[in-house]
Amino acid sequence: MNGWDRVIMHCDMNAFFASVEQQCHPELRGRPIAVIGTGRTVVTTASYEARAFGVKTGMNTWQARQVCPQLIFVVGDNRKYTDTACKIVAIMKYYTPFVEVFSIDEAFLDVTASINLFGSAETIAYRLKAQIRHQLGLTCSIGIAPNKLLAKLASDMQKPDGLTVIAPERVAGVLERLPVKELCGIGKKVEKQLADLNIFTCGQLGRAPVDMLARRFGVNGEKLVMMGRGIDDAPVVPPEDEEEVKSVGHSMTLVQDITGREGLAKYILQLSEMVGRRARRYHVTGKTVHLTIRYGDFTTLGKQQTRTSPTNDSLEIYREAMVLLDTFDLAQPVRLVGVRIANLIHETEQLPLFEKERKKALLAAAMDEANDRFGEFSVTFASVLETEEKGSHVISPAWRPDGIRRVDVK
Amino acid sequence: MPRREPVRVAVIFEPGKRIKLVWFERNRRQHRVVETTYAWQDRVGDRLEQHFAVTDGESLFELVYSPLEGTWTLVAQQAVA
Repeated sequence: MNGWDRVIMHCDMNAFFASVEQQCHPELRGRPIAVIGTGRTVVTTASYEARAFGVKTGMNTWQARQVCPQLIFVVGDNRKYTDTACKIVAIMKYYTPFVEVFSIDEAFLDVTASINLFGSAETIAYRLKAQIRHQLGLTCSIGIAPNKLLAKLASDMQKPDGLTVIAPERVAGVLERLPVKELCGIGKKVEKQLADLNIFTCGQLGRAPVDMLARRFGVNGEKLVMMGRGIDDAPVVPPEDEEEVKSVGHSMTLVQDITGREGLAKYILQLSEMVGRRARRYHVTGKTVHLTIRYGDFTTLGKQQTRTSPTNDSLEIYREAMVLLDTFDLAQPVRLVGVRIANLIHETEQLPLFEKERKKALLAAAMDEANDRFGEFSVTFASVLETEEKGSHVISPAWRPDGIRRVDVK
Repeated sequence: MPRREPVRVAVIFEPGKRIKLVWFERNRRQHRVVETTYAWQDRVGDRLEQHFAVTDGESLFELVYSPLEGTWTLVAQQAVA
């Protein structure tokens, strides 16, 4: 491919969760469906048939039903989606080892070195699409461009089941009149700030004086100008080259708002156990414990405390989190709670010196062994047994098919 | 229906680790598999489970194969509208 320094592909699965459910349930094919979670229900993904009526991700079920009375709600099965995502990544790796999973339904592929093997980037894209459709019955939109920024933009241009190529010589033409919000990384806030500077299109952004944007956006000013010109040097980073994680955390939206320390304690213990268990599995310890609270009015606050020694012991994490909890105003009902350890130390395992500490470590190891064998929460703290929903029920945007970012969801 | 109901299943283990379901028997009635609509894996502790959504043309069934135990169970049934 002449004139291409790099050939980058972005693959975006179309209405991923909804398409999986339509494939699984033949009676749902061609019908407007919305995938929802359990408990408090918002639309996770809507099928294209539902989107045509205006159903959008994040709507609550009542709003969704208002815009589309014939909408069918399907409770999602996250294990189906994570397994499918792993299969898709395995298919991608047939074409290149440089696959960066961006989220559960999106990935970047650097196919620069694969062109000689397969003929062209378009051939790779068509074969990839065909394999995904044949093996899983799903469609995806693929964008091909000289970098990640433009590849992602290209994949958004034709949905569903599209293939769009932005060749280097077409970049300026494509970007000239394109609204800045179409670029990945420019959200509503930045769009508004750019509008205040009379910048509405990527063409205008690319021609804007760097000094002016640097005054407004600091170090990101120059990056924004480069984005406006379609320049992005970010590499496709396969999992083995990813930076080490900076924190390990879990959060949960409670089935109903809870007021008071007592009611929250068992959820914080459960989250601490999930954090501790994942940290122990991947041999990391954290010096800082962070607690997040979201009130019923969606105000979100976080507080943290740094310990003298790092830990991955669930009970120690819990105790720190409870100390933090006591500093919050608990008169207000709480909607979401999250526990995280940060300031991580990787690959460290110190044998406890004192008998009491050694017993604690042995107990945790015994519990981990039982849960590894029989499944999460087979052996757990008595007060956690009372909680209705144990484990992760939401696929985090940071989910990855392998390593510490892989969280087994229910 | 119990949460997990053991069932008799006829399958073909094809090359490439593919498992093709032919029929399964429940309450002495044989259901011929018209289509395997989806398949996925799950792990409970160290036990791998393979899930199959299959239809006999009237209903959709979810069958689970546990390779470790060599057992098949029916976990869900839903009429196809």
